[in-house]
Amino acid sequence: MSVGTITAMSPTRRALGHLAWRLVPVAPFLIVLLIWIVLWDVFRPSQETLPPVRDVVLAIHELAVSGQLAQNVIASLGRLVLGSLLGIVTGVAAGFVVGLNRNAAEILNPLVVFFNAISGIVWLPLMITWIGIGTALAVFLIWNTVFFIVFQNTVLGVQLVPEVLEQGVRALGANRMETLRSVTLPGALPYILTGIRSGLGFGWRALIAAELVGAASGLGTMIFDAAEYHRSDIIISGCLIIGTIAIIMDRWLLLPIERRTVQRWGLVSDAEAGR
Amino acid sequence: MTIANAPRAPARLPLPAGLSVAARQLSGVKILIPFVALVAVWWAIHAAGQFPERVLVSPARVWDTLVVLFSHGVLAEYISTSMSMIGIATAISLAIGVPIGFLVGSNRYAARGLEAFLRYLQGVSGIAWLPLVIIWFGFTHTTTLAVVIYTLVVPIIFNTMVGVRAVPEHYTLALRSLGASRMRLITDVYLPGALPSIVVGLRLGMGYGWRALIAAEMLVRQGGLGDLIFGARTSGQIDRIIGGMALIGALYIIVDRLLVQPLENLTIARWGVLRK
Repeated sequence: MSVGTITAMSPTRRALGHLAWRLVPVAPFLIVLLIWIVLWDVFRPSQETLPPVRDVVLAIHELAVSGQLAQNVIASLGRLVLGSLLGIVTGVAAGFVVGLNRNAAEILNPLVVFFNAISGIVWLPLMITWIGIGTALAVFLIWNTVFFIVFQNTVLGVQLVPEVLEQGVRALGANRMETLRSVTLPGALPYILTGIRSGLGFGWRALIAAELVGAASGLGTMIFDAAEYHRSDIIISGCLIIGTIAIIMDRWLLLPIERRTVQRWGLVSDAEAGR
Repeated sequence: MTIANAPRAPARLPLPAGLSVAARQLSGVKILIPFVALVAVWWAIHAAGQFPERVLVSPARVWDTLVVLFSHGVLAEYISTSMSMIGIATAISLAIGVPIGFLVGSNRYAARGLEAFLRYLQGVSGIAWLPLVIIWFGFTHTTTLAVVIYTLVVPIIFNTMVGVRAVPEHYTLALRSLGASRMRLITDVYLPGALPSIVVGLRLGMGYGWRALIAAEMLVRQGGLGDLIFGARTSGQIDRIIGGMALIGALYIIVDRLLVQPLENLTIARWGVLRK
């Protein structure tokens, strides 16, 4: 960034600055931890208001050893995967149909805006009366959340593929199916993946909310049950685990996929121009 | 389509005033068409299926229920509870989030440090903290507010930070070489430069916050549209649930499209040029 200042520094200071730059993301977590410890030491709140750090660590350990944690994480992730897969498949398919047909896009747009506004958790009461409490409910809510985000991004991606490219491939004798597969799909792929990535983020939130009321297992159920016994150590453990899973999913799974796709396909038009 | 359009195109150029009004009305009608179709399908399914009251009611019934709720003043109360909640939460979140975003954004170490933390917080939805917040504040409006503010403030801090970081350095350098004070830098460079990004954060945050509000209202049960639809579930009043859902969608669209989006367009039109 500021090359001038860095080269002016001595090598040790530069190494130190580099280390600080690498470690600085950890700082806020440490600060919160410190505040938590100090707050607890000064005020000595009751166990249920704010448990000490040690208790939360013990709770996580206890949950992990008893197998409860694995069971709930698997239940939640299973629902997320099922609901998201359904959402991605239907969203991409519908996105292609609508994206390729401008009239359909124009007519359907108001409906999409409206149902997007009530996607996810708003369906909870209606769906509880229709399909009851259970996995189907959570899967529906995730599907509903993921679908609209993937759908809207797919429509955008499909519409933004330059028509010249499609016409070029068609002029070379490709039929409609081949054009779709070799031009439209790769052209829209970066947008689709962005949609999947933010869709999964939203889906994960919707899932936790759905599990608070509408499930018999899962991380959301775990923290909500803990609230009944005023076990705030379990609630905080649950929240920390929820955040950790979300970060792992986003940073180490979806972001690399997205980056690779954008590198591979995002420059389609440039590669064409360079030839 | 293309063939039918071709001869009409030249006639469009000198558009008479009356015609443009007609065209606008036509586009208004166009928006309604899919909804009319949807209601028709719903009505047909209801008429064909002979569903019990607890499973599906006719569109007319939902409308009647909304009218009754409205005339008793109950509906206005539910709506005003939800709207004031989101309004208060937005005001507080802006008051907290924008200054923090500025402080953090003006230092690149602080910005890098907070980014990971904010992403982590975004992974833990506000609603996941609800059980703990209920232990702290009980089943009160404070609980709902806390959850909504938590949800809203993260994207606002984040986008303010990004906006401040994106202001090109030579603007600040230019102003400083002309002798501007730190205060002038903030009011003349950072604030207008970051404003488009802040408004984007606000819009995003309100989208998240509105959902968190509905979910929190369902569980806290102290009024609001979430309470309306979730409370109706226990007594099996499908008409209230569907009517409430339609209202939640309509209100969100009204706030987003008529309030926040114009604000966004305005800021980007007024200040967004700075980026060029």
